[in-house]
Amino acid sequence: MAQLQLKDVNKSFGDVHVIKNVDLEINKGEFVVFVGPSGCGKSTLLRMIAGLETLTSGEISIADRLVMDLPPSKRGIAMVFQSYALYPHMTVYNNMAFSLDLQGFSKSEINERVTEAAKILQMEHLLDRRPAALSGGQRQRVAIGRAIVRDPEVFLFDEPLSNLDAALRHDTRVEISKLHRQLGATTIYVTHDQVEAMTLADKIVVLKEGRVMQVGSPMELFNQPENEFVAGFLGSPKMNFFDGQLVGSADFQGDDVSAQGARLVSTEKSAGDNVKLGIRPQHLVIDEQGALAGNVTLVERLGTETILELLTPGGTLFRFASAESLDVEVGQDLRFSFDAAQAHIF
Amino acid sequence: MISRTLKHVVLALIVFIWVVPFVSLVATSLRSELASKTSGFWTAFTPTELGHRFSTHDRGLDEPVLSIDGNIFDRINLTEEDFPVSGTVESVLFKGRVADPENPGKTQLIRKLVPPGEAMSVRDGELVFQPNGDYILTFDEPTIPKPKNLDVFINQDPVFGAAAYEEVLLENEDVPNALIASFIVTIPATIIPITIAAFAAYAFAWMRFPGRDWLFVIVVSLMVVPTQLAFLPILQGFSGIAHWASSLNAWLTDCELSNSCEVASKSYASLWVTHTAFGLPLAIYLLRNYIVGLPRELLESARIDGANHLQIFVRLIVPLSVPALASFSIFQFLWVWNDLIVALYIGPNNGEDLVFPIRLQQQLGTFKDQLHLLNASAVISMIVPVVVFLAMQKYFIRGLLAGSVKGG
Ligand SMILES: Nc1ncnc2c1ncn2[C@@H]1O[C@H](COP(=O)(O)OP(=O)(O)OP(=O)(O)O)[C@@H](O)[C@H]1O
Ligand SMILES: [Mg+2]
Repeated sequence: MAQLQLKDVNKSFGDVHVIKNVDLEINKGEFVVFVGPSGCGKSTLLRMIAGLETLTSGEISIADRLVMDLPPSKRGIAMVFQSYALYPHMTVYNNMAFSLDLQGFSKSEINERVTEAAKILQMEHLLDRRPAALSGGQRQRVAIGRAIVRDPEVFLFDEPLSNLDAALRHDTRVEISKLHRQLGATTIYVTHDQVEAMTLADKIVVLKEGRVMQVGSPMELFNQPENEFVAGFLGSPKMNFFDGQLVGSADFQGDDVSAQGARLVSTEKSAGDNVKLGIRPQHLVIDEQGALAGNVTLVERLGTETILELLTPGGTLFRFASAESLDVEVGQDLRFSFDAAQAHIF
Repeated sequence: MISRTLKHVVLALIVFIWVVPFVSLVATSLRSELASKTSGFWTAFTPTELGHRFSTHDRGLDEPVLSIDGNIFDRINLTEEDFPVSGTVESVLFKGRVADPENPGKTQLIRKLVPPGEAMSVRDGELVFQPNGDYILTFDEPTIPKPKNLDVFINQDPVFGAAAYEEVLLENEDVPNALIASFIVTIPATIIPITIAAFAAYAFAWMRFPGRDWLFVIVVSLMVVPTQLAFLPILQGFSGIAHWASSLNAWLTDCELSNSCEVASKSYASLWVTHTAFGLPLAIYLLRNYIVGLPRELLESARIDGANHLQIFVRLIVPLSVPALASFSIFQFLWVWNDLIVALYIGPNNGEDLVFPIRLQQQLGTFKDQLHLLNASAVISMIVPVVVFLAMQKYFIRGLLAGSVKGG
């Protein structure tokens, strides 16, 4: 049975329909990441699970209990906010002890739990400090510690890393991932950073304008996107799309490129329909005999990767990414081939 | 750059405008009655030439003497206990007859200022004085001279004394009583509204209930009701309550026996209620605006942690609102402390219970010519808010929310 279940959940703010018919099941111990562009409703969905927003319609159950009428504190969740939301006038210890104190735990038990959480997060030396005397990363850990002491059924994180600099973000990401393995707690994690999503998640939920676009493991989503949005959203640089027509059952015929035997994503398309062919920049191969021609308009050397931006003779922009440091210049004409099995028709 | 200089100039000007009256008040209150009457406060800080009168010696010498010595300052200060004179003696006024150089054998009456070190004739002897006030009066043969009063001009050092304060505070109980009465009125009239307002502000900011916004608008619009407009109904209300309380008193106790059933309608309690009522709209408005600005996620975090409204209020809102609470407390304290009109209409009107502003207003009549006393009272009444302000200063902490949310 699912640890967390959402059934036909809807949310409107006045006339604005923000969450649309979301159905979702999350199993015990799973690390689930909600991704999507800004404003797609990730935070709202998370806050509905937390009990900070009411549902317009639908059902949410946590550990087999319907929780719609329960206050946040009774739902068995703990939440880490994007802004940390630490209590500024309390020490780190008291920040973590606050919820336990409110629940009426004894002093010794509170002490035990707080020390334990502090040990897990390696911040025993910070317990007497005020949040103002902590660095961003330390504050983040206190916020996580505050969640851990509550021993919740489900951890909720709303973009917990977005205030950290790149290096710290990476470290904390690794730490959160370790922590999840260590605690084995069911976790929902909101981000709009696809790297975080890909690296952390057991299961990714891609949202767009309040609708779930696809649910699945990171590699599933990467290799078998169910729609153009998911395909374009995951992966960096973005997937290339070419306009054309569907020919036969799974052949693509376009002005710039053609492909035989690509993966047909949509079942509703039939021969002659306008479709798009999607190929990831990494799946292109430089090939003198290749079908795809392009003129280099931009060369980006990232050190680990070289990214070319090209224009087809038909005027479609596409990208090519290679781990090699290529010897190309702007203005040069290149030809590419690709394995049709790695291409998608949308 | 220019704007910075301009800012500093404006600031200095403001400070000047504020400080001058204060300095004048304090300086005058520390001067002697004579000095405060005869010269402006700005002359009090620099040496000034002033005339004094001293007598060369005490009456009742019983032995003939050849010389008398003494010190002019000591002689003057025999009668100037509170504001002792010091400085340098510039000159002594000589008034008497000397030989007339134009008409030999005749004398002429002259007045002249004799500088230090120059001999002058006094009671048939010779008086010589030094700038430090030492003088010696010598005679040719032993005599018993009568004391002589001499006018002396002294370049006098600034002198201040607390005589006016002693007089105001110790000689009768008006000012001490007024101080006590003002505290009795002001402290509850500050604490009660701020307590009520803090609860109300939290509710207006973070609780959902029907009609919340309308109610808030009504509360805020009450701010514009002038106090004067409400006096009549308030007075009627209080006298109604007093009447009712008197009857209750008569009914419940045996006060008829001592004829003490009457409950005053003008009392400290009526002042507390009135100041609370008039203070609340502004207090609620200020506090709500502060509290509504606290980070929403902080309160949500507390809700997830299991805090109910009261716990959020007590453990989060109050500690985090200390600067706002402190600033409103000061507002209200100042306003009630300095309030004359409400106290006059609604407060107790028997002599002992008069609050400070009423007492000051009365002193304006009685001390009309004693500026130093009036100013001493005024300074005492001013010093209280100043002390309160300085004591509260540490609560105006900026960055109280530091570390709570991003960028903090
Ligand atoms: N209280 C509210 N009242 C009205 N509209 C709201 C409210 N909260 C959110 N919305 C709207 O709901 C939509 C989804 O907001 P949400 O905060 O869930 O987005 P998000 O996916 O978390 O975005 P981001 O990545 O920027 O955090 C947005 O269009 C937002 O304007
Ligand atoms: Mg968000």
